[in-house]
Amino acid sequence: MPRKYRLILALALTVALAIGAAGLPGAAAVKYEDWGPHVDEIIMPIIKDQQARRIAFERGESVVWAGLTQPTDIDHAKTLPYADMRMTLGFHMFYLCFNMRRGPLDAQPLRQAVAHAVDRDNIIRTLFKGYMLPMTSFVPQVSPFYKKDVPVYAFDLKAAAKVLDDAGYKLDATGKNRIDPKTGKPLPDMKIFTPTYEVAPTSAELGKMIADSCQKIGLPVKPEPMDFNVMLDKLDIGEFDMYCLAWSLSKNPTHLYNFFHSSMDVEAGYNRPGIRNPELDKAVEELWYAGDLKTVKSGADKAQAILAREMPYVPLYSRPYIDAFRKDMVTGYVDMNGFGAASYNNPWTLLNIRRVDRFGKAIEGGTIRWLLSEEPKNLNPAVASSAYEWEVLNKIYDGLTVSHPDTLEDIPWMAEKWDVGTWEPQPGKKGTTITWYVRKGIKWSDGMPYTAEDIKFTIDYLKENKIPRYLSSTAEINKVELINKYTVKVYFDTVSYWHIYNASLDFLPKHIWQNVKDWKTFQPWLEPHPTIKGYTKLVGTGPFMVKEYRPGEFVRLVKNPNYWRTKPTR
Amino acid sequence: MGFRSYLLRRLVYAVIVLFVILTFNFVLFRVMPGDPEKMIIDPNFTQDAKAELRRQYGLDDPPLTQYKNYMSALLRFDMGLSFNTRRPVWSELKERLPNTITLFLVTFISTAAVGISIGVYSAANRGRFTEKFVVGAGLFAHAVPGFFVQLLLLLMFGYYWPILPIHGTMSAPPPDGAFAQFLDRVWHIILPAGSNLIMGFGSWALYTRNTMLEALGQDYIVTARAKGLPKRDILYHHALRSVLPPIVTLIFMSLPGAVSGAVITESIFSWHGVGRYLLDATLQLDYPAAQGAFYLIALAVIISNLLADIAYGLVDPRIRVGAGGTK
Repeated sequence: MPRKYRLILALALTVALAIGAAGLPGAAAVKYEDWGPHVDEIIMPIIKDQQARRIAFERGESVVWAGLTQPTDIDHAKTLPYADMRMTLGFHMFYLCFNMRRGPLDAQPLRQAVAHAVDRDNIIRTLFKGYMLPMTSFVPQVSPFYKKDVPVYAFDLKAAAKVLDDAGYKLDATGKNRIDPKTGKPLPDMKIFTPTYEVAPTSAELGKMIADSCQKIGLPVKPEPMDFNVMLDKLDIGEFDMYCLAWSLSKNPTHLYNFFHSSMDVEAGYNRPGIRNPELDKAVEELWYAGDLKTVKSGADKAQAILAREMPYVPLYSRPYIDAFRKDMVTGYVDMNGFGAASYNNPWTLLNIRRVDRFGKAIEGGTIRWLLSEEPKNLNPAVASSAYEWEVLNKIYDGLTVSHPDTLEDIPWMAEKWDVGTWEPQPGKKGTTITWYVRKGIKWSDGMPYTAEDIKFTIDYLKENKIPRYLSSTAEINKVELINKYTVKVYFDTVSYWHIYNASLDFLPKHIWQNVKDWKTFQPWLEPHPTIKGYTKLVGTGPFMVKEYRPGEFVRLVKNPNYWRTKPTR
Repeated sequence: MGFRSYLLRRLVYAVIVLFVILTFNFVLFRVMPGDPEKMIIDPNFTQDAKAELRRQYGLDDPPLTQYKNYMSALLRFDMGLSFNTRRPVWSELKERLPNTITLFLVTFISTAAVGISIGVYSAANRGRFTEKFVVGAGLFAHAVPGFFVQLLLLLMFGYYWPILPIHGTMSAPPPDGAFAQFLDRVWHIILPAGSNLIMGFGSWALYTRNTMLEALGQDYIVTARAKGLPKRDILYHHALRSVLPPIVTLIFMSLPGAVSGAVITESIFSWHGVGRYLLDATLQLDYPAAQGAFYLIALAVIISNLLADIAYGLVDPRIRVGAGGTK
């Protein structure tokens, strides 16, 4: 068996052992309904302290203890007889980045040797008690664009030393440091920046572990924990050798363009390693400007192969989503690949969760409690930016499409179908068009009909007002054409498969937002609805609506009486 | 110099101090490492979007223009929009101030009352068990980290003996009726205020005990004793009265806590207060929010100092006279 396959197998076994040791179930066979909801009310108390959240779960004040990351918490949750532990793979990536703009790490063999010196299994065992997944790819394993058969640099100090010897990095007389063949002098100290022990103890310790390992093969690598903002400033201007940080990615491989295209190698740009490789540029351009899925896959595959060879990053590990549910209180939660069963990005749990009686039988209606770990602060969808805000907003908005919980494939939701085509924005130039066919009969939570006009209004509003959060989505939109009440066509200046996500903007109800003078200061959850007493201007199409928000205390959601998908026949 | 000119001078000083603080407040955030828009670490948040955000934040303007806008806005008590939440800073502070003030007042009154009483009592019973207990408890409360005590209490009364709420200022949802809601709030404040009392009474008690012991050794106390005055009169009318000025100062100097909040207590008990707001704003480089909160705290400190000066001037004429020479 080729060495790389043996390594992949070994990694898979490590993960399986880690999960087995943890006693966590893998993602169960997905059983879900595509309609709901089955509870009348969700009360979301805001509990900021980690220990208080744990106590709240154990006191039954929350049906879920979500996003467990600390091994002690996971171990403790496993001991609770009423806790149902759920685990799914995520889009998280923790990595070591090299600065390729300057020596000595501009040399590929040196980066390859460092990659060989990283003992992922030991890091995961020591720092995380096995509750992380080793990662060797530049696209998360759970993504449909993940390429398996790329070179992998397994932990092997002998192989690392051999790579260095072969490339001419000979040990000096002391046998402790290597000579740079380019300069003929000992290699200079190379620092690994990490956040401080106080802010991120595992990251800081991980930097030390990698440095220790590198020193064993004669590389003068030193850990340097520092203030996070100082670190970001240094990274922005390329003043570093190596650093360790994490990204939260998505199922799409567009980050490969953002992180590794040479046009992104500017001050404060995301191409922090400063990689400039024409072959790689071509591959990531192929995926970025692809007109269809096949071309995307081809570009993504090529890019991953080049990156595995060039090693601007050493991917280290990925954090799975681990959530504990009170199985004596609820059932119906759905594992969703990449997001977890309790994620705000998972609409399936929201639709399917229901209470159980004391015999464990599912019952309809009633109230569940689902805690928030932070204040949602601003429930204006045009400016809401944090996960805590979308934890609430995602429960009151539905999308035109939705991701399948298992395959992550886009499936029709409020749009019953869509067409992808092309047009000529200028003579001789091609652009993508996306045509949405909206389902009839959908209503906003205040009873007003949801139509294609709302999609056109949302895109036009976000674009005209240059709303920063949506600038990347609207930047290449040329115009939006209303074909009829339920059909709208979005025209882009360029061709890209990803424009379908850029065109998927539909959350501003025209009948409310057309009268909003200042989108920045609009507080829809505080302003009374113009016609319905007791309602606010926070109007959505999702299964729930905000009944009450007491800052610092709780958010109270109730079932949307006008929700469009309450029956299985739809 | 009369009391009026003493007061006027203090007022002028206060205005100068406020101006200096506000200027530092402006400069400090801009020389700190990091930029507000860089706090958004999202691969899909493009450079153009970041540039637009900077423009909308007003960070593209020259520093002097930013400074002028900042000062003129603060003079109008306009603290601007938070970068982080895009909500008016004053609205956000207004939401939190009642909680912070409530927690402060309950903590402060209970801590000061318990601490001063025990301090006086232990000074009057020097060498006895009470004094040893007060000294021991005071030192212990100082030595043990506050968050540790609070987490222990959380565990004790929230988990092992779950009789108290573990978060917030009210139940979710609160009960119906004004009186039920009042009781609900009292129930919720027991743990945070109680933990602050445990950690805070010791310093008041030790301070009062020490100043009282010094006062009890003075000649006029010996005279009072020689005159045969009752012990209680000597303790409260002579000794305690003489140590009141420094205690009054301590009280006034504690007042800014009413707006600055208690970060750790607020975090552990999910108390929606100013302390946590200030910490988050600083960490996230939310200039308007942090500047607004610091502005409020600066005002509170200056007003408290002013009140302390006035109170001092009122209780001790030597101060208002001594500062300007002879009358």
